[in-house]
Amino acid sequence: MTEDKKINSRRNFLKRGAIVLGGSMVASYLGCNPMRRFVAQTAEGMDLPADISSFNPDFWFQILPDNLVLLKSPKVEMGQGIFTGYAMMAAEELNVSMEQMRVEHANTASGIEDALGTGGSNSTLSLFKPIREMAATLREILKLGAAAIWKVPVAQITTQNGILQSGAQKMTFAECVAATKQWTIPKTPALKPASEFKYIGKDVKRIDLKTKVMGTAQYTIDSHFPNMAYATMLPCPYFKATLKTVNTAAAEKSPDVLKVVQKDGWVAVVAKTQYAALSAAQKLEATWDVPQMLQQAALEAMVTVGKGTEVNVQKVGNAKSVLENGAGKVYKQAFRTPFGAHAPMEVNGTVAHVTKDIAIIVLGTQQPSITKSLVAKALGINKKMVDIQIPFLGGGFGRKGMMGNVVETAQLSQIMGRPIKMMFTREQEFQNSFYRPLTHHVLSAKIGEKGDIQAITHDQATPDEVLKFVTGSTLPLKLLGADFISAGHGASLLYNIPNKSATVWGTEIPMPVGIWRGVGMYPNTFAVESFMNELAHETKKDALDFRIGLLTDVNDSIAQRTKKVLEVLKEKSGWTTAKPAGVGRGVSIANDRKSIAGSAVEVAIVEGKIKVLRVTQVLDVGMILNPEGIRSQMEGCVMMGISGALYEEVTVKDSQVSMSNFHEFPMATLADVPDIQTVILANAHEPYGVGEPPLAPIAPAISGAILDLTGKMLRQLPLKI
Amino acid sequence: MKISFKINGQETTLDVDPQMPLLWAVRDELKLTATKYGCGKALCGACTLHVDGDMLRSCSIPIEYASGKNVTTLEGLPESHPVKQAWMELQVPQCGYCQPGFMMAAAHFLQTHPNPTDADIQTNITNICRCGTQSRILKAVKRAAELSKK
Ligand code: FES
Ligand code: FES
Repeated sequence: MTEDKKINSRRNFLKRGAIVLGGSMVASYLGCNPMRRFVAQTAEGMDLPADISSFNPDFWFQILPDNLVLLKSPKVEMGQGIFTGYAMMAAEELNVSMEQMRVEHANTASGIEDALGTGGSNSTLSLFKPIREMAATLREILKLGAAAIWKVPVAQITTQNGILQSGAQKMTFAECVAATKQWTIPKTPALKPASEFKYIGKDVKRIDLKTKVMGTAQYTIDSHFPNMAYATMLPCPYFKATLKTVNTAAAEKSPDVLKVVQKDGWVAVVAKTQYAALSAAQKLEATWDVPQMLQQAALEAMVTVGKGTEVNVQKVGNAKSVLENGAGKVYKQAFRTPFGAHAPMEVNGTVAHVTKDIAIIVLGTQQPSITKSLVAKALGINKKMVDIQIPFLGGGFGRKGMMGNVVETAQLSQIMGRPIKMMFTREQEFQNSFYRPLTHHVLSAKIGEKGDIQAITHDQATPDEVLKFVTGSTLPLKLLGADFISAGHGASLLYNIPNKSATVWGTEIPMPVGIWRGVGMYPNTFAVESFMNELAHETKKDALDFRIGLLTDVNDSIAQRTKKVLEVLKEKSGWTTAKPAGVGRGVSIANDRKSIAGSAVEVAIVEGKIKVLRVTQVLDVGMILNPEGIRSQMEGCVMMGISGALYEEVTVKDSQVSMSNFHEFPMATLADVPDIQTVILANAHEPYGVGEPPLAPIAPAISGAILDLTGKMLRQLPLKI
Repeated sequence: MKISFKINGQETTLDVDPQMPLLWAVRDELKLTATKYGCGKALCGACTLHVDGDMLRSCSIPIEYASGKNVTTLEGLPESHPVKQAWMELQVPQCGYCQPGFMMAAAHFLQTHPNPTDADIQTNITNICRCGTQSRILKAVKRAAELSKK
């Protein structure tokens, strides 16, 4: 090993990854920044705004006195198990036990800012190599430290369970840290080969399990500061409405009210208790200027193929000409998916403690970096004075990235001169939010005389305001908008059909829409895979074999992995076994974030309603990090998929979301649990995303099963018979 | 108004608006935060706790109702409680936010259903989970029933 740097332990701050030893930081270099690489790959050749291209450390390690290793994570834990995944990667190279690993969210004042935020199923892959390299470096630093103390060659030192050993001499990592003043930084060591993995690929219990079972896990709503007051906003009842008048007299007189604050067109009640604030807010009398009364039908008309800006995202052969000319039959159908609500069980909210020295902001956000800028701007202070502290997220699904109340809460804390907690009410969470965009799809196929599929076209219409919210309109929307978020995921056809094309019709609607778990893939997969089920039905083929028959290109690795997923699905789901009476079977695949997901379902109609009886879910994740974590994501996707397929729909009436609480937005419950079987495949060399891909195939597999059972195709979500 | 009651076995007195929902009293006044706010309308079960052995959705019950009674929150169930043990064993939580409510509902349910079927659980526990842990919850409730007998 070459030793290329001596670092004095008191003053070196680093870029990228960091290691903190004995209360100070020791630098280490990580090579290509993984976030940046991710951005670059996603948005090839674009000029990125400064916010996204300049980076602080992405994560760091610290050895705690009780010989625990703390990893500060830039990605947030919202249930997907990323803390556990990171702990496994680190423990693997550090040679510590999982019990010795601690993972916490980095707060932004400590230097970690992840400009991309958490989402898009990229958290595992983006840090898979960097965290292991950093952990391996830390292990070698400690070995060099021990070698110096014991005056033995470093090659004689081994590590296990956080203990350094040379012959009979032993010392913990923490003891080594306490006894070392000057550290030697080695070059990045080689990583363990997969054959030596102790944790990666094995079932590991999630490291936040106990705190979440015992009820001690802390979420935003659980955060508390001395002298804190509670606030609630007067909700704006209509999209894009502005406050005309408000009578605050009754609210001000309401018990325990401290102040009714009016600022920048919003009104909030601040009170001594949550209850007092909520009760007083009921007494506010407001009138609103509503620019236009929007209705559901008008929104659907705006989002229709043929309207808006047309962007072709896939062109192979000449599908249009094949469709229009020559023998064979043209089969054409249209599909729709509704607006979607995220409905995380934890509502959005913020706890802000603004003093003249620092603005401490506690909130569960998928976008700490953007949040920090927003707060600094709103308070008129330097970004360095803002510290975003992130507790666990009670579900994200894209909702915890934007349109929260962080700015208003911070301003209230500044105005009131005391800490403020302001949570959304569930009604606000449903009605003052943004939504998964509704979509419209038209698919056409040319079926040859022998039943062969000669061409397919997919036209998708979607509102494309997504990125405007996320990045504050700095990203060139025209280039990225539809492509990156919606069209980029699932609009193109993966089947090896000689002529295919996919086109996205982007339009703007006067209603906030944005990211939602697998936002583009979810509607696109519903439309495309439902259409595939129809084509199989139309050509009298088995829906699963029909797909396998279209995955013929041996040089197309995605196609070949998809074929494998289908073959496993066929075997594990008992696809070829005799079907019980009254049962329909359906299948679907989805390919996104390089993961391939496939579902085979069995449904029946019970008391006039669709009942999902069995779901077999196969996921090729590339490389398996934690099978237990992957299974739990897959099961979650099955339930959310059933929920979306059968129940969920956001509609608009008079510029207002019609759903105010869970009674108007039914979701899957314990009564909807089918028999779930999960199978994980690993047919690549990196761990790909698991949080979103398995969600997409559920709905089209269910509609395929209904087609199988009844001969009737349902082309709109939620599925209604 | 002063209201006295027992919280997880301990006597306590709060001086609050008697109409304040029990949820906020427990969370904000007593700082017992396992009990969660999810909907405020008795629809989701995130705020489930026990009062004198009854299962209640505390967002929709005024604090005065608890006067002189015994209130139990998830913090009041011992670590060795079969429900907590089953939840650990089956690794139920994802984001975890809904889980205290589910566990309190399960603990109450098992007192009257020592040998529950899926159908029993499905009709009696009507809480909501967005992360999709429902299939594990079903298994965990049955496992907790087994553990209760040991
Ligand atoms: S918060 Fe009480 S039932 Fe939802
Ligand atoms: S575990 Fe997240 S809502 Fe249930």
